[in-house]
Amino acid sequence: MTVTATPQSPASERKPGAGYWLKKNLFRTRLDSVISVVFGALSVYLLVRVFLFVFVNGRWEIIRVNLKLLLVGRWPSEEMTVLAVAIIVMGLWGGVIAGLIAGRQRLAGTSTAAGMNAAERVSDLVRRFGLIFATILLLLLLTSTAGPWLTMLLALVAALVGYWLGRVAGLRKWGALANWVGVLLLAGIPIGVFLYTTAATPLAEWEGFFFNLTSAAAGIILSFPIGVVLALSRRSKLPLLKSASIAYIEVVRGSPLFVLLLLANVSLEFFVPAALAPSKVVRAIVTFTIFSAAYVAEIVRGGLQSVPNGQSEAAKALGLSAYKQTSLIVLPQALRNVIPAQIGQFIALFKDTTLAGVALGILDLLNGAGAITQQPDFRGQGLIIEALVFVAFLFWVGSFTMSRESQRLERKLGVGTR
Amino acid sequence: MTAPPTTKAPVPEARTPFYRNVKVLAWAFQVTVFFVVLAFLLWLWSNYLTNTANSGIPTNFDFLSNPASFAIPGAEFDSNESVRNAYVIGLMNTIRISIVGIILATILGTLIGIGRLSKNWIVRKLSTVYVEAIRNTPLLVIMTFTFLGVVLQVMPTIEEAWNLGFIIVSNRGIGVPWYSEVSGAALFAVVALAFVGWWAVAKWRHGVSERTGELARVGLYGGLTFLLIWIVGWWLIGPTFTLPMIDGRQLEGGIRIDPSYFSVLIALVIYTASQIAEIVRGSIQAVPVGQGEAASALALSGFQRMSLIVLPQAMRIAIPPLGNQYLNLIKNSSLGAAFAYFELTNVTQITVGNGSPAVPAFFLALVFYVALSFITSAFVNLANRRFKLVER
Amino acid sequence: MTDTNPEVFADATAVGGDVMIELIGVDKFFGSFQALRDINLKIARQEVVVVIGPSGSGKSTAIRCINRLEEHDAGRIIVDGIELSEDVKNIQEIRRETGMVFQQFNLFPHLSVIDNVTLAPRQVRRMPKGEAEDWGMELLTRVKIPEQASKYPGQLSGGQQQRVAIARSLAMKPKVMLFDEPTSALDPEMIGEVLDSMKDLAKEGMTMIVVTHEMGFAREVADRVVFMADGQIVEVGTPEHFFYDPQEDRTKLFLSQIL
Repeated sequence: MTVTATPQSPASERKPGAGYWLKKNLFRTRLDSVISVVFGALSVYLLVRVFLFVFVNGRWEIIRVNLKLLLVGRWPSEEMTVLAVAIIVMGLWGGVIAGLIAGRQRLAGTSTAAGMNAAERVSDLVRRFGLIFATILLLLLLTSTAGPWLTMLLALVAALVGYWLGRVAGLRKWGALANWVGVLLLAGIPIGVFLYTTAATPLAEWEGFFFNLTSAAAGIILSFPIGVVLALSRRSKLPLLKSASIAYIEVVRGSPLFVLLLLANVSLEFFVPAALAPSKVVRAIVTFTIFSAAYVAEIVRGGLQSVPNGQSEAAKALGLSAYKQTSLIVLPQALRNVIPAQIGQFIALFKDTTLAGVALGILDLLNGAGAITQQPDFRGQGLIIEALVFVAFLFWVGSFTMSRESQRLERKLGVGTR
Repeated sequence: MTAPPTTKAPVPEARTPFYRNVKVLAWAFQVTVFFVVLAFLLWLWSNYLTNTANSGIPTNFDFLSNPASFAIPGAEFDSNESVRNAYVIGLMNTIRISIVGIILATILGTLIGIGRLSKNWIVRKLSTVYVEAIRNTPLLVIMTFTFLGVVLQVMPTIEEAWNLGFIIVSNRGIGVPWYSEVSGAALFAVVALAFVGWWAVAKWRHGVSERTGELARVGLYGGLTFLLIWIVGWWLIGPTFTLPMIDGRQLEGGIRIDPSYFSVLIALVIYTASQIAEIVRGSIQAVPVGQGEAASALALSGFQRMSLIVLPQAMRIAIPPLGNQYLNLIKNSSLGAAFAYFELTNVTQITVGNGSPAVPAFFLALVFYVALSFITSAFVNLANRRFKLVER
Repeated sequence: MTDTNPEVFADATAVGGDVMIELIGVDKFFGSFQALRDINLKIARQEVVVVIGPSGSGKSTAIRCINRLEEHDAGRIIVDGIELSEDVKNIQEIRRETGMVFQQFNLFPHLSVIDNVTLAPRQVRRMPKGEAEDWGMELLTRVKIPEQASKYPGQLSGGQQQRVAIARSLAMKPKVMLFDEPTSALDPEMIGEVLDSMKDLAKEGMTMIVVTHEMGFAREVADRVVFMADGQIVEVGTPEHFFYDPQEDRTKLFLSQIL
């Protein structure tokens, strides 16, 4: 007796349907199903609560009214144009750097963008930076004047122009003189912007989220050379240098940053000649620098260890002096390897800047959020929750985006796959 | 045979001028750098001494014998006790919250870390959301949330305390039953004895299992022994338990879990658990896939594969970064000072506010923190060495 | 003829006869382990000496002592009349006169091929960029890979990388080239191209010391073969002597294991 099988589409053409997916991922076993139902209900409940809070019940007026205070503290209104100019110039600078890197990558053949068509490129950018753009847009929507919109628009234009310039420059090989001029320009712009801004508003009055961002940047930048020197000393065979750097690194890494900030708050002025009374912001940045240097030292040390010994041996065999061996061959490779870890350190410092608010009384974003709930219009209404959520959100967006970029870089550099 | 070669007359072993001698140069370099750094530090120190002398601030540790001028709730410490005792209490509180925090964070973090690798989609997604949300938020923000948002807002005032019979929850503290009239040490000894019993039974069962091939069932036998010893032991000692009660505006009886301690602990646990989850996940994923495959090919069950093959190897990889997170938790406990928890930093801050000299006071605190770090690192290194894979 | 007496095998059998490198009673310790025992060797100008031996015999250590990548503990090393001592001036000069090719190539991955080759001439001999690049291209042509100049080491095959390494060492116009197992890390099909470059060098009259396992190269190109074991020179001789009439038992044992 022949049995005729009912004609079915060949197995390879049948795609697993929704039922299959549910069974595999949510209801594999009885226990699994129970877990799925329980947690599923919990998630739905939480999502609904969050949604209601953010869009329906939340009383965001307090944020809207105090937006400037939260973002830049008590920045003098007449100096706002200075701030705007600074942001636009830094946008240009950032664009140039990004463009240079893109150009150089394309030159060396390591560009991932090169392999993408326009649509892929756009979706890639959206995935990476969409959150930041959305947040900035959200903040802009909360403002009531045209100024911020104009500034952001100009900054965006400047960044795009900068990117184009940077790419053009990156794609060409330049002579030694041009290289030096370029480096000086690139280093000089942030310094120039800094001087320009502090001339208008002294460092002591840098507050709000602006403080969190800039003090973290300052801390990382200033601690970097110190950290490199410490790392090199730790690896040297010269006993004096080695033990001194180990002592510094281990003591600083064993100390809580909060305690160091409290100490700086009450006693930093004793360590400098009485004439220089450092402001709170300066104290914070000095402490961040001292603290960060020890962590940067460990990161760079790891990078130095990751460069094979053969590199310095080859450099030695070619007759390069010890200084040139390190600066031309070993360090460039080491630093390139630790970029993801460095970004991680910046993120950690960025989050830790909130401690300066409590320890030193600086009106940073978190402190400011607490302060605005005490304003006559808003006190006693339990608005602290809205304020804290806003603070958490801003920090979260910055931290999450940077950490994702760092993971992407790590994958690209293939550092983790050794 | 060719004529003996003419050698270019080698330079007779001349004495290397010292300014070109590699070894001399190396020493000269490091000595110079050392002295430059030393000079800078001495300059800072001399500034410090002149400035403090001018302001009349002493630079010694005499302040430790002064009366504290503040009270620490929850401890038997009034304002007449010495600053030294305040430091001791602060240190104990730091250690207390650190140990509890480390244990809880490890448990929670491990669960969530394994959750990130679960086959159940919801569990996986929830764990990921937890980790990504918490990891990227500053700890201080989280702590502010738990303190203000949860404790002061969610917890009811003493008048409206939630009374669950044997636990009372209010914003003045959580009251739980506690023992009295017997030595805590004796009770603790019984629990310790119970652990010993578990271990002894485990060894016995392993022996049986090796000899006869029977399943060891350590969990069953050991667990029962543990409970048995604990219950019998405590029954023999006969402690009385006092229940918490509300007396006017205070909690009486039992023991009071301080809301500051509670909220700081919760925040530390939540935050550190998110970091630990990533470490656990990473270390399980770092165990080569082939290991699990080999285990499956040998017909080991999923649970056996995890507990006998994968987790032990994952643990080795996880120890150093875990140790790092424990150090971070200990240091992060200092944030309790901002939330009225009387740990070491808070004590230091208050006593400086009351007039003790700042640099010696904070120096002492830093010494304690660095010492705690070293001790913890030593334990971690010990664990690392003990679990290292034997290699050629 | 074998002898540990320095005079005997100091006789150069190659042309010239002018001694380029001299090792006299060289000892080297790593902790308590003695890696080199009383090494005595003279190498004449334009001579090609191949050093063979089992692993751990000290052959790499010996040539690494010549350019001070390792520091010898006793004895004397003299390169082209310059004594290798703690004098940094001597060390730098010797390093300028010797070129080394490593087993792991050790090209600088962050620099392009042409930059790898021109780095030392520009930094150490202060050659202007244009001149250095012309010289670099000439060298790359000599090792037959001029078209790779603007690529990066990561984009090249092993054999190509090693040839770039040879060009890089030649850029300093050294008087001696030291090769530390140059083909041991290469896939078999690429060994030939590297050996060809080395043979060209030998034909052009470069003084070479080559530590290798490639017996074919030794037979074809070497003026002398040195056999080392357990940190000592066991036997020295011409390739014919060596491969057809070895004297020492140790030598016979080694040859029977590898041939």
